[in-house]
Amino acid sequence: MKTSFVASFSRTLVTVLLALLVGGLIMQLSGKDAMGAYQVLWNSAVGSPRALANTLLAATPLIFTGLATLIAFKAGIFNVGVEGSLYVGAFAAAWVGFTFVDMPGILLIPLAFFAGGLVGGLWGLIPGYLKARLRVDEIVTTIMLNYVAILFTNYLVTGPFFVPGMANAMSAEVAPQAQLPRLMERSQLNISFLLALVVLALVAFLLRRTALGYEIQTLGTNATFARWMGMPVARTILLVMFLSGLIGGLAGAGQALGVHYRFVGGFSQGLGFDGIVITLLGRNTPGGVLLASLFLGALRSGASTMEMFTQIPRDLIDIVTALLIFFVAVEVTVPKVWKYWRGGSKTQMAASGSER
Amino acid sequence: METGELILNIVASTLRLSTPLLLAAMAGLLSLQVGQVNIGLEGLMLAGAFTTVVVGFWLGSTWLGVLAAIIVGMLLAALFTLVVTRFKANLIVSGLAINLLASGSTAYLLKVLFDTSGTLSPASLESLPTVNIPVLSDIPVIGSLVFSQSPLVYVSWLMVPLTALFLYRSIPGTHIRAIGQNEEAARSVGIPVRRRQYLALMLGGGLCGLAGAHLAVGDLALFREDMTAGRGFIALAAVYFAAGRPRWAALACLLFGMFEALQFRLQLISSTPPQFFQMLPYVMVVVVLAIISARKEWRKGW
Repeated sequence: MKTSFVASFSRTLVTVLLALLVGGLIMQLSGKDAMGAYQVLWNSAVGSPRALANTLLAATPLIFTGLATLIAFKAGIFNVGVEGSLYVGAFAAAWVGFTFVDMPGILLIPLAFFAGGLVGGLWGLIPGYLKARLRVDEIVTTIMLNYVAILFTNYLVTGPFFVPGMANAMSAEVAPQAQLPRLMERSQLNISFLLALVVLALVAFLLRRTALGYEIQTLGTNATFARWMGMPVARTILLVMFLSGLIGGLAGAGQALGVHYRFVGGFSQGLGFDGIVITLLGRNTPGGVLLASLFLGALRSGASTMEMFTQIPRDLIDIVTALLIFFVAVEVTVPKVWKYWRGGSKTQMAASGSER
Repeated sequence: METGELILNIVASTLRLSTPLLLAAMAGLLSLQVGQVNIGLEGLMLAGAFTTVVVGFWLGSTWLGVLAAIIVGMLLAALFTLVVTRFKANLIVSGLAINLLASGSTAYLLKVLFDTSGTLSPASLESLPTVNIPVLSDIPVIGSLVFSQSPLVYVSWLMVPLTALFLYRSIPGTHIRAIGQNEEAARSVGIPVRRRQYLALMLGGGLCGLAGAHLAVGDLALFREDMTAGRGFIALAAVYFAAGRPRWAALACLLFGMFEALQFRLQLISSTPPQFFQMLPYVMVVVVLAIISARKEWRKGW
């Protein structure tokens, strides 16, 4: 049973509007002008070419982490560890960027992305191996390994790769030719956005048109069936976790090379976790991931300007996002509960009918 | 500093630092046992810490702040229970949403209500007074170290046997474990499943509120954005490390509390990077889970 795109899109839209409505209510209750705030938010998210570019910039890592989470979800693997892959990937990319300073950009940038993706993928293989070979629950291990990755990279930039004179935990700056070319002046929007779109197309193609994609989806919908069919389940799990980590690593590489121009300890603030929100909101489809990333990106990039002009803390966006998660969860089940009530008992239906 | 003094010093701070872990771990344990693992412990603690400081400041009584923290923790836990049971929302996603809601709304309210960001430490708010246990606190050396603590430290020690007794020796506790084992079977023998789920998770919410209160007013009297700093996840690590058994979870919390204490002290005398100690709890959980599973697979003749 497949719900049509229009139906699920409009249902999501209603949910989003509801969350924004409650967000507005919160603003009004704290004595702020909600309508004015949303107007500022809208203008600073999509009001000008530069605003739009910043929205796309904020959406870029979300597209990556959303896809990384999506591909694992499709195989029935709950990978909460994209955040960890993102960190180790970001460091690897930055390391390439500030180590091979003599290499021309045309080689250095692909090499840095390659390193970021590879290291992120290998990081994903740790919980992947534990799940595939030892059947260790991936949710717990990926949550725990996130912290290991965050702390380990933090150690790297305060220990072996410490740069004297830097106040915070950050690596040296990457070579100028490793800094990602911008797509537009006066915005940091860079070519990693294009890479995100390419990866999006590849993931969509992989899931829909390839044998591996079929194996992934079968594993996700019915693992027992997949096993009985003689599918190489352990190998598929390993492959999926590698790919998921790889895409997470690319997200980190994009941020390190295109935004910070170095590795900054603790820079992500949950971009990997956002991937879970993105897939949830995007209804587990690549197209949905894109739309959800653009939406959340717009909120994020508009929020700082909103805070400046209206004194409404940008943390409101986190509240709205949390509400959105709850509403999506509720909205998915409400029709089912409704159907159950109506179809479950004839008398109840008759009673509600006569009331009307 | 002398070695003896250093050791005593580490013991004292271990006891203090493991308190929020103990309380949150008991909450995590209840959620694990009822089959609805709550990864929102972190958020519940943060909300508790914030509530303690704000309500304690407004009402001029730290203890009323602590009480309010328990209530807020329980209410948030009720929201979590509602979405994961009634609406069958994904556990992990809902837990993350609780964390996001807590960090977002505490930061938001801090700016809206107090016009500050970062830290809130009202001058009129006092931390909880140190309680000396009569007689025991007079024991030389150990007495003042162990039995002269902030009150919530003792509460956390009490909560471990209480949680164990509740889960293994009381009827609702037995129900909770039965639901965790097999929800359908529990329902079919007439256990009020929904009510017990609310009970387990809301008790946990109250414990997390207490944990947050200890962070806020146990030592100093202040709230800092994201002051829980991953402690909810360390508590969760302790629960998994102990495979859901209260006693072992408590020991794990003491151990992890000691790592935290060591990390501050050893920085002064050795070159061990602090991140090493911070990482240990997480690494240990992964290793232990791997070993447990490997043994299971071996027995199956893999």
